[in-house]
Parts: sequence; C-alpha cells; structure tokens
Amino acid sequence: MATQNETGFGQISRLRGTVFKYLTFGASLVGILALGVLLAYVFWDALGLDSAGTAWYLTYTVVLLAPLLGFLAYARDRPAVTAGALELVGFTLAGGLLSFAAIIVLIVIAGPQVWLTYFLTVIAPLIGLFLYGQYDREATWVGLAMLGTVVAGPIAGTLLLGTIGSAAALLGAPGVYFLSLVLPGAGLAAFLAADRFDASTRVSVGTGVVIPVLAIVGVPLVDTVPVMARSVWFAVLVLLGMPVGYAVANTARRPARRAAFALPAIAVGGLLIGELVVGAVGASQPSPWLDWQFLTSPTSSLPVSAGLYPAVIGSVFLIILVSIFTFVFGVGTALYLEEYAPASGPVGTLTRLINVNISNLAGVPSVVYGLLGLGIFVNIDVQFGPVGYAGIGAGTVLTAALTLSLLILPIVVISAQEAIRSVPDSLRQASYGMGATRWQTIRNVVLPRSLPGILTGTILALGRAIGETAPLIMIGAVGTKYTPPGGLFDTLTAMPMQIYTWAFLPSEEFRYGVVAAGVVTLLIVLLSMNSIAILVRNKYQQEAY
Amino acid sequence: MSNEGQTPDLTGDRGLQTVRESTYKYALAGCALLSVLTTVGIIAVLFVDAAEFFASPVVTLGEFFTSTRFSPNLEPVSFGILPLVLGTLLITFGAALVALPIGLLTAIYLSEYASPRTRSVLKPMLEVLAGVPTVVYGYFALVYITPALNVVIRTLNGAVGTQFPTLGLFNGISASIVVGIMIIPMVSSISEDAMSSVPDSLRQAGYGLGATKFNVSLRIVVPAAVSGIASSFILAISRAIGETMAVVLAAGSRPPDIPPVQTAFGIIPYVGPGDLLGLYSESAATMTVAMINIAVSDLSGGSTAYQSLFAIGLTLFVITLGMNVISDAIASRYREEYE
Repeated sequence: MATQNETGFGQISRLRGTVFKYLTFGASLVGILALGVLLAYVFWDALGLDSAGTAWYLTYTVVLLAPLLGFLAYARDRPAVTAGALELVGFTLAGGLLSFAAIIVLIVIAGPQVWLTYFLTVIAPLIGLFLYGQYDREATWVGLAMLGTVVAGPIAGTLLLGTIGSAAALLGAPGVYFLSLVLPGAGLAAFLAADRFDASTRVSVGTGVVIPVLAIVGVPLVDTVPVMARSVWFAVLVLLGMPVGYAVANTARRPARRAAFALPAIAVGGLLIGELVVGAVGASQPSPWLDWQFLTSPTSSLPVSAGLYPAVIGSVFLIILVSIFTFVFGVGTALYLEEYAPASGPVGTLTRLINVNISNLAGVPSVVYGLLGLGIFVNIDVQFGPVGYAGIGAGTVLTAALTLSLLILPIVVISAQEAIRSVPDSLRQASYGMGATRWQTIRNVVLPRSLPGILTGTILALGRAIGETAPLIMIGAVGTKYTPPGGLFDTLTAMPMQIYTWAFLPSEEFRYGVVAAGVVTLLIVLLSMNSIAILVRNKYQQEAY
Repeated sequence: MSNEGQTPDLTGDRGLQTVRESTYKYALAGCALLSVLTTVGIIAVLFVDAAEFFASPVVTLGEFFTSTRFSPNLEPVSFGILPLVLGTLLITFGAALVALPIGLLTAIYLSEYASPRTRSVLKPMLEVLAGVPTVVYGYFALVYITPALNVVIRTLNGAVGTQFPTLGLFNGISASIVVGIMIIPMVSSISEDAMSSVPDSLRQAGYGLGATKFNVSLRIVVPAAVSGIASSFILAISRAIGETMAVVLAAGSRPPDIPPVQTAFGIIPYVGPGDLLGLYSESAATMTVAMINIAVSDLSGGSTAYQSLFAIGLTLFVITLGMNVISDAIASRYREEYE
C-alpha cells in the first residue's frame, strides 16, 4: 500500500518535470538552430555548392574531413596537443589579419612616401624610446617623451611630408618597406629568441639575420607571381611569417605539443590531394560567387563582375582607426574610473554619475549615434573668433571612424573596467608597499594583468563596429563606390553598406549570389576576430592558475 | 653614528616623477571626460535640430504626435509620428513574443538543468546570436525567411483551408522573427545571471520540503530572480525598439496604415485584432526605418523634412533611455538581497 502511494506520487511529478526540462532544453536550441540553418543556406549559396558533384563531396570527405575529425578525436584527451593546435591556428589567423590590414593601410592607402614620413617621425622615435625605457628603467622622462612624440610626431610628419617623401621616392617602394618592416621585424625576432626561448646569443643574432636574408632571397621567386609585389612580400613575411614562426618554434620545443603539427599538415595536404584527385577524376566542382575576382573588383551592374574590393578596403581602414581610438580612450577612461577617481565624497558622486552615464550610453540605439556623428562632424559650422570648424565632411573615413568609435566606446570601457577590477587588490598594495607610485603600479602591475581581458573585450566590440550600418548611412557614407578610399578625408564604403545596397536589387543572381558572397566575407572576418578574442581569453584563463 | 639626527631622504629625487604622475592622471581624466561629452553632444544635437523642426510653420508639436500620416517627401507633407510608432510597436511586440519566452526558458535551462559542460558550450553559441551584424539578419529575413513563410502559409491554406494572406516582399512578421532571434541572448544571459545568484540554500530548503526540481525552478528560483528577469525583458525590448538595419531590409519603407478605430457599447474605442494581425503581412516601417529613409533620400539639409529626422531621433532616444533607466531602477530597487 505504502509502496504504491510512493511510486504514484513520483511518477506524476516526474513526467511534468521531464517535459519541462526538455522544453527548456529545446528553447535554448531554437535560436541557435535557426541561425545555423540560415548560415548553412548563405554559405551554400555563396560557395556555389549546388553545382558540386557527388565525387567532389566524396573526395573531400575522405582526404580532408575524415582526417580532421580523426585529429579532433585524438586531441580531445590531450590538452597539450589541443593547446598547441589552438596556438598554431590562432597565430596564423592573427598574422593573416595583421598582414592583410598592414598591406591595405601601408601599401594600398598610405603608399611608401606617406608611410615612410610618419614611420620616421612617429613610429621610429616611439620604438627607440621604448627600447631605451627597457634599458634604463629609472628614466622617468621616457614615458613623457613618448606622449610628446604621439602629439608632436604627426605635426612634424605633416611638415616634412615633401622632404621625406622625395627621399622615399628615391629609395623606391620595396626599399621603404624593407627598411620599415623587415629590419624592425628582424630586431624583434632576435629579441624574442633571446628573451622567450632563452636562445644563445649566436642563435638569436642568427634569427635576426635570417629574416632580412630570407626577404632578399625570396625576391626573385616573388617576382614570378603576378599578384605579389615585392612590398607585399615583405609585409607578409614579417607580419604573417613571424607570428607563424613563433607559434611553430613554441610548439616544436615542447615534445608533448609536437603532435599538433598534424593539423596544418592535414589541412594543407588534404586540400592539395583533394585538388589532384578531383582534377584526375574530372568531378564537377562548385562554382563559388565568393572567389578572387569577387574580392578584387569593384561593384558592377553585372552580377558576374561585381565585387567587394572598395568595401573591404574601406572596412579594414575603418576598423584600424576605430581600434586605435577606442583602445586609447576606452582603456584611459577605465583606468581613470577604476584607479584614480575617488569612490566617495562629492567627486565620488561624479564618478558614480559617469559610470551610470556610460552604461546608459551602451544602450543608446546605433542610429542615434549616427545622428550624433551627423550633428558634430558633418552638419556643423561654428566660429570661435578667428578659428572656424565646419566638420570633417559627409561620409569621409575620419567621420565614420570617429562616429563608430563613440558608438563602441562604452562597451570597451565597461569590459576594460571589469578586467581592471579583476586584478586582486593585494597586488596593488604590494606594489605600493615597495614604494611604487600610482602610475608605476598601473604600468607594471595592473595593466599587464588585465591586458588579456581588455584585449578580448576590445576585439569583441570591434566586431560590433565592423558590422554596423545605420550610423554609416546617417553620416552620409555612399553605398556604391568604385575606388577604395585614398586617405582620411576621402569618402568610403564599407562591407555592410555594400550588402545593404545590393540587397534591394531585384535580380536573383544578386540576391542569392553576390549578396550571399558579401555576407559570407563579412562573417568570415567577424569569425576570425572573435576566434582570436576567444583564444586570447582561453590562454589567459590557463595562465591565471 | 654620524647620521644621527639626520632624517633619511625617503622621497628621493621626485621632481620629474611628480610631473609624470599628474600628467598621466589628467590625461586619463580627459579620456573619462569624453563619455560625458558624448552624452552632452547627443542631447545637444537632438534638441537643437528638433527645436528647429518644431519651430517651422509646417508642423506643430501637437500635429507631430497626433497626425496619422507620415509623408515627409510627398505633397501634401505630413509629419505624424503615430504610424511609425505603430510600426515600432508591431515589430517590438512580435520580437518580444519570440524572444521573451525562449530567452526565459533558456535561462532556466542554463541555470537549473544544464551540466557545467553543456553550459560552457551553449553560452558562447548563444552569444553568437547577438554578434551577427543586423544587416545580415535583415538579409536573411528578406531572402530566406519570407519565402519560407510563404511556402508554409500556402501549404496551410491549401491543406487546412485557413485564409491567411500571403506575405509581401517586405513584411512585419519576418522582421519580428529576426529581431526576436537577435535579442534572445540579452534576455537569457541577464536572466541567467539573476537566477544563478539565487543562493543554493533556498533551493535546498525547497527540496527539504519535498518539492521537485520543477517546483523549485518555477516556484522558488524564478520568483526570487524576478527583478533581474524583468530588467532583462525591458532591456531586450528597448534594444528591439532601437533596432534598425534588420527592420529596414525586412519590413520595408512604408509605414503601416492605422486601422480604423471602432467603438464598443458606443463609448469604448478599440482596434480590431484581425486588423492589427493583418498589418504583419505588409510593409511596416518603424521610427528607425523612417530615419534611414530620410537620410538616404535627397532631401536638402535644413529643410523641415530633413529636420524631422532629429525629432524622430529625439523621440527614439527618450523612449530607449527611459526604458534603460527603468530597467536599472527595477534591478536595483526590487533586488532580493541575500547574504
């Protein structure tokens, strides 16, 4: 009797609870599955997988997908291999994005003359001061001098543009980039070899010599490739080759991690073998909309010749400017609010107000930030005595960059504040106890500990900025532009702007082909940025123990 | 011995160091000032231009809030914000219908049922929903969701005999769905934070009284976290109100027609629910869409039509700011304090 009652009671409750549990589980999957299906559709359309034959799928499943899954299964229980593989992938991704951005800004937009001028007036002095600061840690004037260089350098550069520019013309574009990228890169490599890998002096000097030699030896080979100018080769060697080299060296010196090299081997080998097999069998291949032509040509009224080139360049230029503005001002604001601003008293109230203000700014719709940009950068015309300010132009690169910076600044500040707050107070007290000043504590204790968190938050916020469209429309960015921007005061178009313009075209080929390719390009850029953010966070979480 | 009576120099030579410390302090304070300036800038820009708009002879404040037609370009011009507010309400209501139940159930699953491993996989995947650019969501709605919904509607009409209207190229329902999907993470992550901060002792007490996990989740955890849940709902709705690009691409540029107002018993005015539902199948421009339309049209700067941009922007800013403030107030005022 008693037993019957008990089971009856349990059964009734259990059914309702189980149904509810699976209901909640299903609800958490709804959004993810919906987005997954939509993403599958858009990738399918952009890559033209419709026209691929069964033989093509079969080949790549056998030579690429199966080995990759095998590697994942192998790495699952081996944290060292996983860490090695993540490091290899992460550094390759980061290097790829870095060299891509550098090629666009230094070579396509700035050109050798402008770049050499600002390299000599701003970046070289900064590097010199930084190195001196590492050598003589007592010198208090170094930081102030760096601050001064940041302010005075651009002015000096603008004045000297003609003089240094003609010197750069004499030197030739490859010479300029060799001087400004390869040589500092070689110095950095030699330093890292000695500092991080404890290499002997001979080995680290050797590392420093190998890079310029490799750069020069590679030139005849590069000349045979039509799309690869010598300048591009130098940029790729330093900015992609060095991070990859670092990751490879770091993986190779730890025996437990060496199995991670299987991942790049499988990826590259699988693609090569797949290509050969498909060619030999004669299988029908996909006809992607997203191809080299798409990435290198401007938009067009014909779907087959339409491309995203000016928009890609515009977006990359924009994101680099936005990252500089938001990093400087975001981290500055967060440091002031967390480290300097008093928490009590009349000024404390002001601090609290600023904090509330920032969290409210994060909730303001992006289209309203567009109006702000329109109001203070475009539609303005004021006169302060002799000095007039008439804005910086509708739809220019600088207007767009400043507007987007203001938009994501609150997000960057909030995440940087969280990162700074997570530094234990005992570390600060220890630093003060040793006689360090507030700034010394921030520089040597707070910033190094919170930097990974700050970087993660900043990269995620930049991901938001790269996809924003509404503010760009409000400040008058154009939807159709056939040339990439040539400078800060040139008009631009960006990837989401171009997608927005294309999406209204009635042609099926645009709708399901060209726009899909644009969407996939934007998503791939976003995905790489987010993966780097996640890798930075994971690395930091591992090292926190 | 010779040092006796001499005070040791603990400060050292700090001349330049003092300069450095204060330089950095004021430089950082300057950065913090930027956020205040941003707020001042937004308010100044919106108020100055909106004031010019209302000062113009073409429009009055009363007309702006009561006229039922919005047509800044076509003669006779009219600047009634009501159709745009209706469009915003339609999209926001639809999005809330999608996101609030799904987000709340997701939060309950993540906080009460999911194993740590499942949670560590699901949470970043949910965050991706908010990370996809809104223009991409708009594209999805326009080229994939609307045709798919039309297939479903035709099948239903054919098989069951229902009389649903087929959707136009631009329609409110696809916009509501994508806006709903993109605000799910906002509801789920803030609600989950609130539920996770409910102390375990309350759950244990519930189990001790013989409650099942279902009872504990719904009768103890959810009520205890209700302030956090409410604040997440408000924030998500505020985000949906300000959403722009997804709606521009999916819902089109024509504001909805205000349905005829009927009266029940001769005194109580109401709008037929069928009329309201019917609006979802057609273009339903919101306040944000109207702003984009004015910005891309070739209206000259300084004209009244152009300045209506700022009047709508001000309305939008006041609504979203108000909701954020309310959400903050609820979260802090009604928070249950636990040790």
